[in-house]
Order: sequence, then C-alpha cells, then structure tokens
Amino acid sequence: MNAELFENLKLELRRGCLIVAVLAHLRVEHYGYTLRKALGDAGLAVDEGTLYPLLRRLETQGLLVSEWREENKRNKRFYRLSPDGELILGQLLDEWQSINGSINRIVQGE
Amino acid sequence: MELLDRYLNAVRFWLPAAQQDDIIAELGDDIRSQVEERESALGHKLDDDDVAAILKERGHPMLMASRYLPQRSLIGPVLYPAYVVVLRVVLLWVMIPVFVLIVGPVVIATAANPTAGAIQTVWNLAMANVFALGVITLVFAILERRPLRELEKWDPRKLPHVPKATFIADPAKPAAGKAIPRATSIAELICGVICTGVCMQAAWYLGGFNLDIVHVALAPVWRSVYWLILLSCVAGIPMGWFGLVWPSRIRLRSIIRLSIDAVTLIAIGVLSQAGTLLTLTSPKLSPASLAEAMRWTTLGLQIGLGAAAIVSLIDMAQEGRRYSRARW
Repeated sequence: MNAELFENLKLELRRGCLIVAVLAHLRVEHYGYTLRKALGDAGLAVDEGTLYPLLRRLETQGLLVSEWREENKRNKRFYRLSPDGELILGQLLDEWQSINGSINRIVQGE
Repeated sequence: MELLDRYLNAVRFWLPAAQQDDIIAELGDDIRSQVEERESALGHKLDDDDVAAILKERGHPMLMASRYLPQRSLIGPVLYPAYVVVLRVVLLWVMIPVFVLIVGPVVIATAANPTAGAIQTVWNLAMANVFALGVITLVFAILERRPLRELEKWDPRKLPHVPKATFIADPAKPAAGKAIPRATSIAELICGVICTGVCMQAAWYLGGFNLDIVHVALAPVWRSVYWLILLSCVAGIPMGWFGLVWPSRIRLRSIIRLSIDAVTLIAIGVLSQAGTLLTLTSPKLSPASLAEAMRWTTLGLQIGLGAAAIVSLIDMAQEGRRYSRARW
C-alpha cells in the first residue's frame, strides 16, 4: 500500500513539473517522438497519451507553434516555443526557483 | 501495417470529427517511429504479434482517444451528493413502499391470477424506477449546466440549527442531543403505509362481516369515525418521511404526532359516547350465548379504547415536552 501510495503521489508531483520540462525542451524544435525520448533520457519519462494532448493544449494556449514537414518520407509535426511561450517559460522557471526555495526553507526549518 | 491502421481507425471513431485527421496523423507517426526503432534494435521486421504488443502497451482505442478529450461529467462533484440523496429517497423510500404496500396489494387482490398480479406489480415498479431515475438524472444534468448562483449568495446565519433536543428511544436510556433516529422514521413510514392499507381494506367491512357462525354488524358511529382513523394512519406516512428527510426538524414531527394523537382521542371520545358499538347475531347460537358474547366483546372494546386513550395521552405528554425542548 505504501509503495502504491508513493507511486501515485510521485506521479502527481511529476505531472506538475511536466509543463516546465516540455516548454524548456522546446526551446529547440522537436517532433513528438523525439521530444518523448529526450524527456525520458532526462529522467522524466512520459507516455504519449499524456504528452500529445499536453502539446495540443499548450499550442491552443499560444505557447507553442507547430508545422507539418516531411522527414524520412513521412509527415511529422514539429513543435517549438512561440514568443509567448518563451516569456511564460521564463516566468515559470522563476516560479520554480521560488517554490524550490520555499520547500527548502520548510524542510530545513523542521 | 494493417494492424496499426486498424488500431488508428478504432481510435479515430472516438475522437471529435474536427480533430480526427490531425490527431491520427500524429499518433500514427509516433507509433511508426517506435516500430522503426524497435526493428532497428532487433535487426528484423516486426511481425503482427510484436506490433500487437506495442499497441497493447498504448492502451485500448477508447482509452487512447479519451486522453485527447476534455474532462466532462454529466453530474459534477458539487451536485452529485444531492443527486444520490434524491435518488435514494425517491427510489427506496417512496417508490418501493408505495408499490409494495399499496399498489401491489390492490393489483394482486383485483387480478384474476394473484401470481400474475404480483409479477405485474414488480415489473411496474421496475419501470417506474427507471422512469424516475431518468427524470432525476435529466433534472440534475440541466442543473449542472446552469451557474450555481445559490452557492455564491449564501448566508451562514441561515444554516439549520444543530438540534439540542433529546429523543428518548428508550426511556431507560435517554440519548442526549440527537435527532430522530433513522430507524424510528423508517418504522413510522412503513407502519403508516401498512395501517393505511389495512384501514382502506377495512372500509369494505363497515356494513358488517361474518366471523364463523356469528354475523357482526358495526354501529353507524363507525362510519363517522372511520375517516378520523384513516386520517391518523395516513398522517403517519409524512411523519416518517419528514423524520427521514429532516431528522433535525423535531418540532415539525412533534406537531404531526400531536395532531395524530388529538385525532385519535377525538375518535375514541366519539366511540365512547356511542353506547353500543356492534351487534352480534347468529342462527346457531342461543340468545343467552349471544348475550354473553356481546358482553365480553363490549368489555374488550371498552378496555381497548381505554388503553388507546391512555397511550395517546402519554404520547401527547411526551411529544409536548419534546416540542417545548426542541429549538428546531
């Protein structure tokens, strides 16, 4: 039960970090599959059922731009940060640092 | 890759029409990329079993499609508890008692075949419940889609009081600060329904009935008090109902209970003033035997009426005290 509980809570914690990780990676252009691989290599594995809907949502919100291009005889959809996305990413990274600091203060204060 | 195309087609079915092509193109490319990487690592083409394993990892097509859809609910978490309460009250505490205790006996009694009548009653109950479920669900689904302004404009001072009155289920063990026990309300509701049914059946015997070799003729005064008795029985139903729905409304329940006791006492008073309450006749018994039977029957009735009056008076006293101590 503790292992299952930990896994569920870990999933919730990672879910909150995923947006920052995706935006950060998309400072460089990726298509879905390579982005998923890059996230996995960085220690933040995510399944395609989570990643693709997230990419669509971020694009709808104006943080990403995408285009279909042919590569290796197949059409792929390439994503990258929009100007608004770069701005938001900067703000989110500041927020991330702030949260990190708060957590550290809380933990050290105990 | 026919298996992949079948999978993508199945996912497409569950997607919104406007986004199908886009999502399927991207999903298809992702799966093909994974297949190519696996083939490159293994050094050979994947067969159908290998592709099936990859697709199984992805999840059922309906599940895959659901991840692209917005989170929606017919009845959301705010209204859902109220929805469950309404369903439970209507289906369990209204439909079933009404059908089992009122509709059912009438249908069975009037049916040519009692078994067929019972089956018909059960079927009618099921259909009525399905209809009620549909209407309640529709109403709550509509409520879900309108803004809940009532939840924004609320005043803490208008919340129900916490009941301070005690309800003595057992005089030897007074329970402090509790509302009407659910079991009591359920019992009152069921008794009310049963007594109403019995009283309605008894209407057929007001003109008289046979008990073995004796014919019993009820005095005309019974026709006058019949409606009072029926009213007392019927009043037990809303009393039990209110106790279930609003267990903290002690005063409301006490008012109904006091009214029932008052009506009962009036009926007892009328019967006590009437003199002869019934007449016994029999072609097979001697006048002396009939007179003796009449004497004992009258005595029994007088004792019964006296006991009923005492019980009603005690109940009135208890309810009066409960009413005066209740705040709500």
